[in-house]
Amino acid sequence: MKRKSILLNALLLSTSQRNILKYCKDKKKKGRIIGTTIGMALLYLMLVAYCIAQSIGFGYFGLTDSIPTMNALVISLISFFFTLFKTNGYLFNFKEYDMLMSLPFKAKDVAGCKFLYMYVKSLPWQMTVSLSTMVVYGIYSEASPIMYPVWIALSLFLPIIPMLIASFLGYLITKIGSGFKHKTLVQTILVLLFTAACFLPRFFIEDMIKNEKTEEVMKSVSSITGTAEKFYPPANWFSNAVKTFNISDILLLIGITIILFEIIFIPVGRSYRKINSALKSHAASKKKVKSTCKQRSVLGTIVFKEFKRMTGSTIYMTNAPIGELLCLAAGIAILFFDVDSILAKITQDAPITKEMLYPAIPFIVYFFAGMVATTAFTPSLEGKNYWIVQSLPIKKETLYKGKMLFNLYLTVPVTLFSIVTFSISAKAPILTTLLSLVLGFVLCAFSTTWGCVCGIKHMRLDWENEIEVIKQGAAVALYLFPNMLACMLLIGFTVGLGTFMDQNLVLVIMIAFVSLLAGLNYRKVLSLCKKQK
Amino acid sequence: MEKKPILEIKGYSKTYGEGKKAADNVTLTIESGDIYGFIGHNGAGKSTTIRAVVGVLDFTEGEILIDGHSVKKDPIECKKITAYIPDNPDLYENLTGMQYLDFISDVFEISKEDRKERIDHYAERLEITDALGDLISSYSHGMKQKLAIISALIHEPKLIVMDEPFVGLDPKASFILKQIMHELCEKGTAIFFSTHVLDVAEKLCNKVAIIKHGKIITSGTMDELTHGASLEEAFLET
Repeated sequence: MKRKSILLNALLLSTSQRNILKYCKDKKKKGRIIGTTIGMALLYLMLVAYCIAQSIGFGYFGLTDSIPTMNALVISLISFFFTLFKTNGYLFNFKEYDMLMSLPFKAKDVAGCKFLYMYVKSLPWQMTVSLSTMVVYGIYSEASPIMYPVWIALSLFLPIIPMLIASFLGYLITKIGSGFKHKTLVQTILVLLFTAACFLPRFFIEDMIKNEKTEEVMKSVSSITGTAEKFYPPANWFSNAVKTFNISDILLLIGITIILFEIIFIPVGRSYRKINSALKSHAASKKKVKSTCKQRSVLGTIVFKEFKRMTGSTIYMTNAPIGELLCLAAGIAILFFDVDSILAKITQDAPITKEMLYPAIPFIVYFFAGMVATTAFTPSLEGKNYWIVQSLPIKKETLYKGKMLFNLYLTVPVTLFSIVTFSISAKAPILTTLLSLVLGFVLCAFSTTWGCVCGIKHMRLDWENEIEVIKQGAAVALYLFPNMLACMLLIGFTVGLGTFMDQNLVLVIMIAFVSLLAGLNYRKVLSLCKKQK
Repeated sequence: MEKKPILEIKGYSKTYGEGKKAADNVTLTIESGDIYGFIGHNGAGKSTTIRAVVGVLDFTEGEILIDGHSVKKDPIECKKITAYIPDNPDLYENLTGMQYLDFISDVFEISKEDRKERIDHYAERLEITDALGDLISSYSHGMKQKLAIISALIHEPKLIVMDEPFVGLDPKASFILKQIMHELCEKGTAIFFSTHVLDVAEKLCNKVAIIKHGKIITSGTMDELTHGASLEEAFLET
């Protein structure tokens, strides 16, 4: 136990910005840390506002009783998926593996500490959601004062079970993948297949409810949460504990969490060294293959470097192109749905025609495709290898142009494909479709350049684990949230404009507006490049 | 001083994907007080063997014993008495040198007095005392190597395993490290290290093994290997 706490403490201290702030002598670096902290604080405030607004909505519609279950489900789902995509980099194949494993730690304890580290690092986000929700629930339900400490204490345990399940699945995926020659590819496919499989029960449940002719159930949030409680008992334990202060529910949540933690790392510990050995071995083939040279342009070679960087990392592969894959899936799926009936259900009695919604198509597609821009983290991903690009006789502009071009290669084809399929399904006129394609392209350019601005401004090279920049980096957070918010606002704005303006004119206005933003971002990238010299 | 086996490698083999053997039936014995050089060209299997000895790399064939404890069955006991210095140490960059040494000392449960005395002693000799309050990320490669050396010596191990320990060290630090190695051997510590620098091996080691394509070509005392010639000549003949 003592050794575990020593290791956990060292892991936390080694990635603590406070430690860097305390001991770093570089004033610029200190300034960047303070700036990033302020930026992150603003994002936390946005999250607080969102959670409070959502909970007030529940309270307003008389669904106060469902708030604890919703809170438990939201935290559990976030914890599960975020952990599943992170496990490979946190539990396995980390940089200081040799150093740690040569010290007298049990493999089970190293894995356990890495899990706890992952938990502590994600706790501020989860607690922000939970505590904001708690305040609204407390006010609407006029809860007894004892509810607050019970809620806070159980919120600390709530993310652990889904994180443990995700870690165990991540372990299984890594174990299977490590046996293959193309480890990264196999692991990526398994993670994505599993993620897709996670959504199947949802459709199955929905279908089941529909078949029982209880359509009203679908409309009732409280019944949905009730169903979810049956499928995921910890949400029920949490809900009962904060509503009725039932000791057995409190003990069940805490007890099962602790037992699961102790059990799950036994098999992980047993094959830990074997998996890591396999992941870290890149032995040469027995067969001698003479590789051939291939000449590319400077820009082309940077794009190729970015491509190889992506395919060489499971974390990169499972996190970055997820938006593009969702976009592609949505683009294919839309061909099999009746768009008219979907739109009729969404718009209901609103005075909105299908034509008015045409200009929103590029934004709906962009919501997926622009979810993650690789340019937001690829500058930081250079890490310790930054010296390579620094020492090359190329301008910074060329480097970042290459990074931007790579992101465009990822986003543009899927965006254009999905816009075409959405337009076909919605029976949009040809001119509208063509303008939508142009808007889709400039949105990709905006995403790429905005990501690059964030990526360069908040570049961090001293990371220990690539997860720190791909998933938890300030640059990614500062790109992601404003981008999603802006996208949703623009969808609303476009539909609003479409109610009294020709849809093609709306598209032209949007093309001009987004092009302007993309242009400004591009200029900013160029000026940041000059500053970097 | 009575010599006893500290590290016994018996028939160790490591196979990577596609059946390529990185280490093939490696058998070596390193006794207390030995400075044992492990020589081979790039990709010969030196690091693969060393990483298995320190419990980092998994292996299925053969047995490795450290002071009688099996690396496979009793890894914690082995690691308690072993120190490992990798060729390119990946330390916690955002800790200060002192924070890192405290972390290692805590893991090995070294008392406050002992750790202070040992850190002061080695940091002074390796001329790194003034930098211990700085973040490791600000260190040069050589300074990181020096820090890794201090962290390896802090718990007074019975076996020190080093992968190319002199790479990145300045001439003075290399000299000091050699001095330290001699002093430790006189106290009974066994040292097993890989190197490309044959001159170093010739002057420093009492025993040497040469590995080629994963197989031990020859091993023994320096005299047994060289027969009066230089180690370079003996190496090139293999």
